Amino acid sequence: MTMKRKMSLLLCGVMALGCLCGCGGDTQTGNDAQTNADAGTEAAAGNDAAGDAGASGEVTEVKIWHDGDESIMQTIADCANEQLAAESVHVTFEKKTGLTDQLQLYGTDEANGPDMYLYAHDSLGTFAEMGILAPITDVIGDEVLGEMLPMTVEAGNYKDTQYLMPVYYETLLFMYNKELWEGEVPETTEDLYEYMVAHTDADAGTYAVVNQHSTAYNVAPFINGFGGYIIDKDANPGLNTPETIEAITYNQKFAALQADGDYNTVTALFNEGKAAAIIGGPWLVSGIREAGIDLGIKSLSDFTLPNGNALAPYSGVQSIGVLKYAAENKKDAVAKVLTAIASPEVGIALANQSNCAPANDKAYADENVAANEMIMAMKVTAETAQPMPNIPQMSVMWGPAESLLAAVNKSGANVEESAEQYQNEALTAIADMQ
Amino acid sequence: MKQRRKLTPYLYSTPAFILIALVIVFPILYTAYISLTNMNLFHWADYEIIGLENYVRALTKVDSGFLSALLVTLLWTVLNMVIQVVAAYFIALGLNREGLKGRRIYKTLLMFPWAMPAYVSILLWRVGIYNTEFGLLNKILVEIGLSKVNFLSTNVPAFLSCMVLNLWMALPFMIMMIDGALQSIDRSYYESAELDGAGFWVKNIHITIPALKGIIAPSVIMTTFTTFKQFDIVYLLTMQKGAYSGATLQTVITYAHQNAFVSNNYGLSSAVSIIIFFLIMVFSVFTNRGVKEESNE
Repeated sequence: MTMKRKMSLLLCGVMALGCLCGCGGDTQTGNDAQTNADAGTEAAAGNDAAGDAGASGEVTEVKIWHDGDESIMQTIADCANEQLAAESVHVTFEKKTGLTDQLQLYGTDEANGPDMYLYAHDSLGTFAEMGILAPITDVIGDEVLGEMLPMTVEAGNYKDTQYLMPVYYETLLFMYNKELWEGEVPETTEDLYEYMVAHTDADAGTYAVVNQHSTAYNVAPFINGFGGYIIDKDANPGLNTPETIEAITYNQKFAALQADGDYNTVTALFNEGKAAAIIGGPWLVSGIREAGIDLGIKSLSDFTLPNGNALAPYSGVQSIGVLKYAAENKKDAVAKVLTAIASPEVGIALANQSNCAPANDKAYADENVAANEMIMAMKVTAETAQPMPNIPQMSVMWGPAESLLAAVNKSGANVEESAEQYQNEALTAIADMQ
Repeated sequence: MKQRRKLTPYLYSTPAFILIALVIVFPILYTAYISLTNMNLFHWADYEIIGLENYVRALTKVDSGFLSALLVTLLWTVLNMVIQVVAAYFIALGLNREGLKGRRIYKTLLMFPWAMPAYVSILLWRVGIYNTEFGLLNKILVEIGLSKVNFLSTNVPAFLSCMVLNLWMALPFMIMMIDGALQSIDRSYYESAELDGAGFWVKNIHITIPALKGIIAPSVIMTTFTTFKQFDIVYLLTMQKGAYSGATLQTVITYAHQNAFVSNNYGLSSAVSIIIFFLIMVFSVFTNRGVKEESNE
């Protein structure tokens, strides 16, 4: 009996220790951290990480976190590593779901965090305010950025500091089914509306054009085209400005002919041949091709609004940012990786293998890239497209903006009253950030 | 010796205490600490203690929709629980009817909604049942010559749609609990009652319900909590990011999420969390007291 009790107490003790041992995991990480830090320090001491590594035959690893398509990242990695083979630098991409949250946790953790990240530019303000990013110009020269399309460079600029190097970008396009669309695609939004009225039968479930009409990103071409805005550079929301109200009112008549506007609904309608056209991004293309649709593409910039302006969609620029500790400890290796990724070769590979619109202007000189209808449509759109705002306050604007659009387009609410209501909600949400 | 005996149970429980402290107590205490600071995006590393300011901010938000969210939550909880218990009771009675064939098959089928992951069920209902283009309900409406209806675009239909889905998802658990409890009632009570001439309602009111009360009370309490803090259904059906349906339905939890957790203001979010934590604690004290009084009777 005593033996049993002793054994029980011993087991309890072991279990208690086991619980606490979980906290001991850091020791190993700490050692790893020390090793990495030592490596970093050595590299920094030599003031030439890659050079030192090259001389000693060691390869410097540069780790990039992303939250995108792994095949796209593989294309970038393969092409960049080919160029870096002689430099003893190797770049690897690691997928992290919920990248923003991950960087908030690991952005200052040299041992466990990445050296760089590749993500849409609109979260830049958040990371810059957290103080985890180094200006990209500390690592690469202006000549690298000089080859990029101006809109893509502008997207990576926050408070007059260039933090990001663009890689590729996405904008909305007008995609149509060549077998269903009758005649030429109109040049003006009014002609497009007339076509929609004539070719839509909601009860039968057939539509001329479908769009996510209550999603801010998809209504932005109208809002920007009318001179309105969701939020300006100084973090002032603009949901109740006359221009934004005019744009939302104008979009309302299109929305009435565009089904529910939910992503799954509009995509399924187009892929099943129940809608002749869809306003969507390049991410839809693979599904459309699988559905066997003969796809035609037109830039949204080719549509003129009644005020004479072209539709001006938002653009999302997939860009690379450098973490502060990497800029300090691996500067040369990081610079070499960035220069390789910025090259026209990577841009051409991205366009030809992954159907992405490269940020590097020189890539468009390639014959195959120039023959790609979708990529060239995006390049045309890049001239009027506006980069999504990259200030942190934008993250709380999607909710009020989309609530406003849904209230107007789905619940039949009054535009002016709803605009006032959601402007106030936006102001509260921005104040809550402080 | 006596002292040692007193200590021994605590020693045996030490591993469990450590685990509870690490997994439950520490996060609550840390959240309480963060709620007293100004930790947010603009004070990421240099945050400092600001006292009860976040609580004042959270509570002064009461006028901007919190009260209506609380009322919606109470209505949601009461309606769901009443319908759930009553419907589950009668379904369980049906399943226990003597001579019912294929009982096991029905029970297995009834468990299906409960076994499915909530996220999948909700999205299936959003597209498969309520969607204007592909939803079953609208297909039926169009077939009988009526116009399509957007069930999720305004508050009342959206509330009812959410409630129907919640019942579909939650009923199996309640049926299972009541079914188990029914089987534990001694058949001799019913036989005696039948000899005295008791009918269906008399047997239910005077035998089944009193016998069930004590047994199903814990599951009713558990389900009440789950229903009160329901988030997934309302959020995914009506306010999923990028897919707002137009309804402005808010429960306490969706309200807290929308007002505090999207702002990257961790101090304020923590204060809201602690307030909700206390609300649920108060709620649980009342329900536990109710159960105690009932079992004492």
